Amino acid sequence: MSQRQEFENKEVGLIDILDVVLDKGVAIKGDLILSVAGIDLVYLDLRVLISSVETLIESNKKTAEKLSSKQFDYEKEELDRVIHQS
Amino acid sequence: MEKLIYLYGIIPAEENDSSPLPSLKGLDGESEVYSIPFGEIEAVVCELDAAEYGEKELEKKTNDANWLHQKAFHHHEALMKLYEKYPIIPMKFGTIYSGAESLKNTIDSHKPNMIELLDGITDKEEWIMKIYCEADKVKDAVAGHNETIETKKEEIASMSPGRQYLEKRKLNQLIDQEAEKEKQTFSEKIHDELAALSVDNEVKKNWNKDVTGRVEEMCWNSVYLLEKSAVEDFISVIKKLQEKWTESGWQIEVTGPWPSYHFAKIS
Repeated sequence: MSQRQEFENKEVGLIDILDVVLDKGVAIKGDLILSVAGIDLVYLDLRVLISSVETLIESNKKTAEKLSSKQFDYEKEELDRVIHQS
Repeated sequence: MEKLIYLYGIIPAEENDSSPLPSLKGLDGESEVYSIPFGEIEAVVCELDAAEYGEKELEKKTNDANWLHQKAFHHHEALMKLYEKYPIIPMKFGTIYSGAESLKNTIDSHKPNMIELLDGITDKEEWIMKIYCEADKVKDAVAGHNETIETKKEEIASMSPGRQYLEKRKLNQLIDQEAEKEKQTFSEKIHDELAALSVDNEVKKNWNKDVTGRVEEMCWNSVYLLEKSAVEDFISVIKKLQEKWTESGWQIEVTGPWPSYHFAKIS
């Protein structure tokens, strides 16, 4: 196997898009050149956006665990125990 | 109202004759990507609605990080699909013409240059290397193995306690400086080794942690134009370097092959 396969076309991350696609590429003058001023700033926004989505997913997972039947059974047992004790 | 034309890139006409364009949706997710012939070369484009993608609208859209993210990825994906099939001069994200006539004028004036460029990049690939370092590990290594620092430590040991305190603070600053030097020297050495395999290369700027979102610090960022035949060598050098240095806190990462975003220059 050629060694390059290990490296080529790996998933492209945010930083690559920023580093290459937004920052580089041939610029011949278009009539409208989309000027992305302060690319770093835009990307800070993006990172915030992405991490907030990640946090959301994470917290949804936690909520889901809490609502899971296993957790429910456990709580029910606890409750039973308390009731029986009294 | 005439449609706007979004330009992805330029490919050689004969390549497109022998293998048709992949089927791709345009930037708006609806229009089709197609090519417009200009003799020896073809422009790969899609049409955009002028009301939605006019100057004012576009400015509003680019302020929306989510939109920008999505569309920049679209631009990249389209270019990667094209690049699988043809040599391509990749345009900067967001190169838009007011209509067919305007695109034609621009292409006509750059055509000889574009033909030459395509010829030049046909057997070559662009690869990017980034070095990240675990700053603490580098600092520790420097503090333990640096002559300047060793000498300084010995001097300090023979001082009065009061002076020792001040001098230790100075020593810390010295260690920081030496660590910065070490990052630079280490990276330059690797860069030189890789650059020797390349036809052309460019040192890019480092992005800070806020942007990379990583704990490790980016201490080198560079791009290489390689003959296709040199890629295997390039990769095996990288692999050896990774094996040698990862443990000491240096992460050497490569991505590629990229469409020639850095070396296809049109003046």
